[in-house]
Amino acid sequence: MGESRSVLYFVGPAFLLLILVLGFPAMAAVLQSFELLWVPEAGFSLANYQRLVTDPGFHKAFANTAVYVSCVVAFHMSLGLGAALLLNADIPGKWLFRVAAILPWTIPDVIGGIVWRFMFDTLPGFVNGALLRMALVDQPLEWLGHPKLAMFSLIVAEGWRGYPFIMLILLAGLQAIPQHLYEAAAVDGANRWHCFRYITLPSLKKMFMIALVLDVIWECRLFGMVYSMTGGGPGNATEVISIMTYRQYFEYYNNGYAAAIAVALALLMLAVSTPYLRMSMREER
Amino acid sequence: MVTNPRFRILTFIGLGALMVYNLLPFYWMTMSSFKTTLEVISFPVTFMPDAPTLDAYRSIWMQEGFPVYFWNSIVTSGSTAILSSVFGVFAAYGFSRFAFRGKALLMTVMLGSQMLPGILLVGPYFEIMSIIELYNTRSGLVLALTTITLPFSVWMLKGYIDTLPVEIDQAAMIDGASRLQTLLMVILPNILPGLVATMTFAFLLAWGDVLWALCLISEPAVQPMTLGVLRLVGQFRVEWAQIMAATVIASSIPAFFYVILQRYLVQGFAGSAVKD
Amino acid sequence: MMRFHRPFPAATGTFPRLCAALTLGFSLFAGAPAAAQSKVTLVYSDWHLSEPVWNRSLQEAMADFQKANPDIKVELEPVALGQRDVRYSTALRAKRGPDVFTLDVNPIQQFIQRGWVMDLTPFIQKESGGLEQWKSDFYPRALDVVSSKGKVYGVPKTLVPMMLFYNTKMFADAGLAKPPANWDEFRDAARALTKSRSGSGPVDQWGTTIVLAPAGFDLRFSVFLRGFGADLLKPDYSASALDTPEAKKAFNFIVDLIRKDGVMPPGVAQVDANGARQLLATQRIGMAFESAWAHPIIADINPQLDAWNTLKLAPVPSDQPIRSTLHLKSLFINPNTDHPEQAWKLVKFLTDRAQMQRWFDDNNLLSARKSVNAEYKAIRENDNAALMASELERAAFMPLTPKWPEINEAFRQNLQAAVAGSKSTDQALRDAHAQINQIIAR
Repeated sequence: MGESRSVLYFVGPAFLLLILVLGFPAMAAVLQSFELLWVPEAGFSLANYQRLVTDPGFHKAFANTAVYVSCVVAFHMSLGLGAALLLNADIPGKWLFRVAAILPWTIPDVIGGIVWRFMFDTLPGFVNGALLRMALVDQPLEWLGHPKLAMFSLIVAEGWRGYPFIMLILLAGLQAIPQHLYEAAAVDGANRWHCFRYITLPSLKKMFMIALVLDVIWECRLFGMVYSMTGGGPGNATEVISIMTYRQYFEYYNNGYAAAIAVALALLMLAVSTPYLRMSMREER
Repeated sequence: MVTNPRFRILTFIGLGALMVYNLLPFYWMTMSSFKTTLEVISFPVTFMPDAPTLDAYRSIWMQEGFPVYFWNSIVTSGSTAILSSVFGVFAAYGFSRFAFRGKALLMTVMLGSQMLPGILLVGPYFEIMSIIELYNTRSGLVLALTTITLPFSVWMLKGYIDTLPVEIDQAAMIDGASRLQTLLMVILPNILPGLVATMTFAFLLAWGDVLWALCLISEPAVQPMTLGVLRLVGQFRVEWAQIMAATVIASSIPAFFYVILQRYLVQGFAGSAVKD
Repeated sequence: MMRFHRPFPAATGTFPRLCAALTLGFSLFAGAPAAAQSKVTLVYSDWHLSEPVWNRSLQEAMADFQKANPDIKVELEPVALGQRDVRYSTALRAKRGPDVFTLDVNPIQQFIQRGWVMDLTPFIQKESGGLEQWKSDFYPRALDVVSSKGKVYGVPKTLVPMMLFYNTKMFADAGLAKPPANWDEFRDAARALTKSRSGSGPVDQWGTTIVLAPAGFDLRFSVFLRGFGADLLKPDYSASALDTPEAKKAFNFIVDLIRKDGVMPPGVAQVDANGARQLLATQRIGMAFESAWAHPIIADINPQLDAWNTLKLAPVPSDQPIRSTLHLKSLFINPNTDHPEQAWKLVKFLTDRAQMQRWFDDNNLLSARKSVNAEYKAIRENDNAALMASELERAAFMPLTPKWPEINEAFRQNLQAAVAGSKSTDQALRDAHAQINQIIAR
């Protein structure tokens, strides 16, 4: 019937576009990391990857990224789950809370970063202002000037921005749990904690895993929030891999090295997402 | 589940705390945007403006040229949304209705492409755009932004098309319609809400981008709003009141749309994942 | 049930074509090139455009230029100081960017090395009197900054040294009769100024500040380094000079001021050039290292301060032969510009004697032209200007090497680490020394 040919017409254009905007540039980046493209003297070389392995700057960026992603994702998942449970409860004015709950996620991450940067600013910032007014501290804290505090501020800011999405997914999952399960359990004499542990959590497991993988992926690639809030500073205390790559490419003009770092990050993210991808591929069959 | 009053009160308190956390930056953003330039950097901090003024907004809109950035954002995000939705709806239909060899693989590739970090691509994009002279153009930026929006659009639209039973297609084809006509005249009208939601989300994804704009746009005349706000910070005089006014404007559009469309977002993500 | 008639047009053709047309149309609209101009349009970019006082001055100058050259239109493009170098380098790498732009000293040698600025020697040679005559009116050191291998790549505009600006009222209030004359007195003055204004309660006023953010960093820390007799690099730029005992003294001095004496406001790690002026303007600090531009800017931030009278100048508190740093602003032309002749006209206009006088009248800046500083009445009769002009001899530029931006950043990060306490002072200095040598070796 020529069906197989029509498939080509439908699926083809999108794939062509994808190859054009994703495939070629990705290939170019890989080539560039091996010093084969856009360099004065092109020739296969592992120099960039060797540098990657020995560069303390990259180790620091890697460590920063690991700390940042794990803390933020933990924050997201726990707050998201908590918020979803709260919003799932039967209370008046639910829609109002829902609206307010999703607001942080609606902001572009750059904008969020700028607002939180101002909030954490040492003298005119809200956080120090509130802490001083409530007499919890007697001197303004240098949130963005101290390496550990800067990382903490970043986590608070990105935690704020990202958790509503997790909450939405988990809320949908919660609402998909059939009510009769709870009713049956109540008949059997289960209390609230039992319900949560033996019905709610297992039912949410799939959504939880999906949300977790998605969140890890998104946080690994995050750029705007970190760039606008700390720029990687102070020093390189909050320089995550994406920031380091940007700097290497646009501030230090080390194209090959920047490409190598980016390839390393991409491989890392593919590794994290492979189980999820395999699972979804199996489902399509 | 029995909801006893004590539990309800705890829930309210929990929600209240959450709301404070959520809304605090919005409150600060707005309050600061109404302060004067001296008051906004004053120490100790004032929590409400002493003499509220619209100076910051006036300055942003008139002097800094924000209407231009606003318009650029609308044009680039709109073009990106249209481009990815058009290509996406075709691909989504193909994935939804056809069975073919390699389909699972192709779908996984499409999904996996979302895992590639933007930072991998900006360098090559920068080189390529410079060579083909699309650097510093909105078209170049639109092409770049489709890397974010296309896989996502295909995924969401497929979810929506899946909800329509195959019988509809078959009925139309029995009546003599080609696949294309089926898509246009039968499927599309039925998933219109989903299509609108997908386009809007693609629009919002593109609106929120800054990495691509930062690397591909150098002139203020074509820069989108997110880049405009970013470039404000670090000006010789960090006028926080102005910057906050800009952030209020920049976040109002996405906030508005997301709030309206949150139902569809949940459906789109949860629906295609929760397979009953 | 729908009926699909045979005569329906071969839809496999129409709809995709329609889509393509729509998409293409939108994209073209999105990337629509500017309508063709009858005049020549130049884009002028300057970080001073994002500062109100300078902006007004530049706008007036541009208006005059456009009146005198009706066939040229000038578009102004402000850029943030901290983002300037990345923005320009990115655009220039893509063969785009503004036609005429300004830089301070830091990236010039790097830009020259990478071919991002046009060689202006041919234009200058066509001027009346030729190359040597033109060069003779500028300070030779200023020309060194913008030249390489005998070719001139930029035109120097304004030249000022870093000085100590101090608030006479706050000094009097703290019992200080005169500005400090050496570093010990500097520390004592800073300590005296750090107090609570109400007498009881938390400290809300500090002695001084330093700039630790990228924008404007090098001008301030270098004053400390040089004031102690140290420098960042050896005179021939072949290696780092941070292993001298003087360098160690200077480095420790800065870090101790912040961590031991507490004479700088909290948040000093984020303070940039603009932030330092804001602290002076809001009287949070009693003194800081600034230069000529501080007066008009601070007067603009806080009119009630009466900056011109309240803030006075003094030389850097040191008797080293070279104790301060020079700041030079110069104009450059984009090598890919479509209108080199008109660009040169604009550059010439902004650096001729008449405009140089305006830069003093509006912004209090000394000229890079010797004749203007020597002959212009307003400069000659101004005490501050006289003081600054004499300090020009006691100041030097930052190292003129293409690797300077990287070296500067390595030092800044280590100083920030020492201030934040994440590294010990000695460790930070040693790391800076090692990193800088590594950069030079590359």
